[in-house]
Amino acid sequence: MDLSLTPAQEMLKSTAKDFVAQECPKTFVREMDEQGDGFSRTLWQKMADLGWAGMLIPEEFGGAGREFTDLAVLYEEMGRGLLPSPHFSSSVLCALILMEAGSPQQKQSLLPAIAKGEQILALALTEPDYGWEASQVTLSATQSGGGYRLSGTKLFVHDAHIADSLIVAARTRQGVNPRDGITLFLVDGNAAGLSKRVLTGFTGERQNELVFNNVSVTADRVIGAVDGGWGILEKVFEPATAVLCAYMVGGLQEVLEWTVAYGRTRQQFGVPIGTFQRVQDHVVEIVNHLDAARWTTYEALWKLDTHQTGVTEAVAVAKAVTSEAYERGTFHSHEVHAGIGISKEYGLHLYTKKARTLYSYLGDPTFHRKRIASLLAM
Amino acid sequence: MDFAQTYTAEQETFRKEVQQWLDANLPPNLEIPPTFEDYSDELYRMGRDFRRKLGEKGWHAPTWPKDIGGGGLTTDHAIVIGEELSKRKIPTVPDAFGLCAPAISAWGTDEMKRDILPRMLRGEIIVWQCFTEPEAGSDLASLKMRAVKDGDDYVISGQKIFVGYKFGADYLYTLAVTDQTAPRHQNISAFLVPADAPGVDIQSLELIAGGGKRTIFYDDVRVPATLRIGDEGKGWWVAQTTLELEHGGTGRVGARESLIDRIIGYAKGHTAGGQPATKDPQAQQTLVDLYIGSHIGRLFNLRNYWMRTSGRKFVHEGSENSLFGKTYAPKLAAKVLDVLGPYALLSDTHYGPLKGEVENQQREATSTHPGGTPEIQRVIIARRMGLSRTPQEMQGSRDVAGTSTH
Repeated sequence: MDLSLTPAQEMLKSTAKDFVAQECPKTFVREMDEQGDGFSRTLWQKMADLGWAGMLIPEEFGGAGREFTDLAVLYEEMGRGLLPSPHFSSSVLCALILMEAGSPQQKQSLLPAIAKGEQILALALTEPDYGWEASQVTLSATQSGGGYRLSGTKLFVHDAHIADSLIVAARTRQGVNPRDGITLFLVDGNAAGLSKRVLTGFTGERQNELVFNNVSVTADRVIGAVDGGWGILEKVFEPATAVLCAYMVGGLQEVLEWTVAYGRTRQQFGVPIGTFQRVQDHVVEIVNHLDAARWTTYEALWKLDTHQTGVTEAVAVAKAVTSEAYERGTFHSHEVHAGIGISKEYGLHLYTKKARTLYSYLGDPTFHRKRIASLLAM
Repeated sequence: MDFAQTYTAEQETFRKEVQQWLDANLPPNLEIPPTFEDYSDELYRMGRDFRRKLGEKGWHAPTWPKDIGGGGLTTDHAIVIGEELSKRKIPTVPDAFGLCAPAISAWGTDEMKRDILPRMLRGEIIVWQCFTEPEAGSDLASLKMRAVKDGDDYVISGQKIFVGYKFGADYLYTLAVTDQTAPRHQNISAFLVPADAPGVDIQSLELIAGGGKRTIFYDDVRVPATLRIGDEGKGWWVAQTTLELEHGGTGRVGARESLIDRIIGYAKGHTAGGQPATKDPQAQQTLVDLYIGSHIGRLFNLRNYWMRTSGRKFVHEGSENSLFGKTYAPKLAAKVLDVLGPYALLSDTHYGPLKGEVENQQREATSTHPGGTPEIQRVIIARRMGLSRTPQEMQGSRDVAGTSTH
């Protein structure tokens, strides 16, 4: 047993910390949040130049081929600084899908480009009937000539507005078992018949509505087996979810530190408000949530990297705990911060939005508890 | 990172030795009963006899030096012994020496270390920690018990409450005020009071939980000064030797607290609304939430165990672990009521779930105070985060919040 980071991980952590401090001040995060596409191509290129976009991609395709825990260490720091980038969509979700099921030709043409940050990919899965069950994938792909035509709507698609290509989950066959009959397609980001619209609201990331109106896709753009897409997604979602949790853990760590610092400096009734036990209680809640999230997340990552049994359960536990932890943590932080907490200049809301957006991403706590219930044969 | 408890070849060899010894020496039927009420005098005697045997072998206090009654073994060995004992659910006495032995070792007289300490470590004698008083609970430093110097003796008077155990003790590890005029914390001394000294009156309490805790009246109990632990007026610091351990700092490895697993198993066979209770979506969410909670509890213990055995400095982790358990138990009790309804309250031999274990938990969950209430744990965590009750204390505390980030 050894719960410490390896020297290589410590080094990555400190590089990431310095990078975030230098390149991603709060003013920048707010600017990205409020304007334009929500990310900076220049910054994205710098991240790619450090090799971050290819962390999981095997060396033969121009990546670093590192473990999930390594990436998680980077994600903690990215999450701490709310570093805006399409990294999760492109270099985690889509890269893992291609690594898992892409044809040699698909891998060769896309993975090196993803690793270099030259191509941005995004995953279009969820629909207006939002959720992470196979039965909720209804966008239809019908055979037409040698290829397919896609029609339907995808909703809450992260990063689609800046994606060069999309991986789209579509239904190619209706059946008794909703897990059968889903196929993954590579679709050009500017395909004819595809319209995109960024959703507005109290959201921590740019999410899109995508309407597919008879979008034509050739047969060589199918990823993996026809009708076999769901199994690929399930495999990829396990490590991706654990990595996402690490991002959330990093964010909550930062929220804790802000909250403690504010409790120590903000004066009311002639004393720092951190002297009041009611205020302290909020901090204690954040600490407890944070540590529960941290250790369930790293246990899941360890299980993934070392191929232990019980990965599925460990990931579900981590996401259920971490979603709740980040959401509750920001709530308690707002209680301590009161007025200043709702100031856009102060920026706590950026964490709050992130926590609430990621709460549902890849499944909310109810979804994951349901999974565990089924693993426990309830 | 590596979350796995792996064993060396030496440990596995030693495990065989422990198993063989237990097979040969463990009396049949010596097993923790499902509820405390079922804990008979006979069972207790068997447990004590067995503990003495364990002590002769050096396995009662495996990591303590051999010449003072320990086993002279490494932590690796202690882990194996602990695991094998817990597998066989052997009844033990809580705090038989756990909290007092370190205090004697650090502050006690040579005579105590020569005589009493080895007997404690060998499992021959039982010591109760007697700190709490009717008017001194969380605010332990406000305790009132008096110890007045009289020649070579002290004469002790006052009352302790919620201490000890259903079965008897040999010594009472007692805190008392020796200087009525000294400032708070500097007025207290620690003593080992023989439980059979004239004037000691140990009474039962009618309690719903807590393993038969007692109240003890000390009526002019005469104790030789040689039984004082540490210098006069240093009792507060003697007690502090043990409090960090009591605040969850030890940690442990091993399986999760498995009561929730047994409850889930039971609920599968329990009919509610014409179907197994676990088929109800809300009950499923409730039970899985508790299942996850027990998993988090295991991870906190594992982390603290790793921190302790790898010599890392504790910040808030001891109290966090303690608070987690103290929050989990009442939550479990409340939520089980949602799933099993009034059955959860039955010890009835026919209708009571899990031989009364669930009913027992309903009662035990009301007792979250031993070793410091949840509120006290919160105060400690906040302090370790850099937030204290007064601006002055806050200045002295840490200026950066930190959690155990590896």
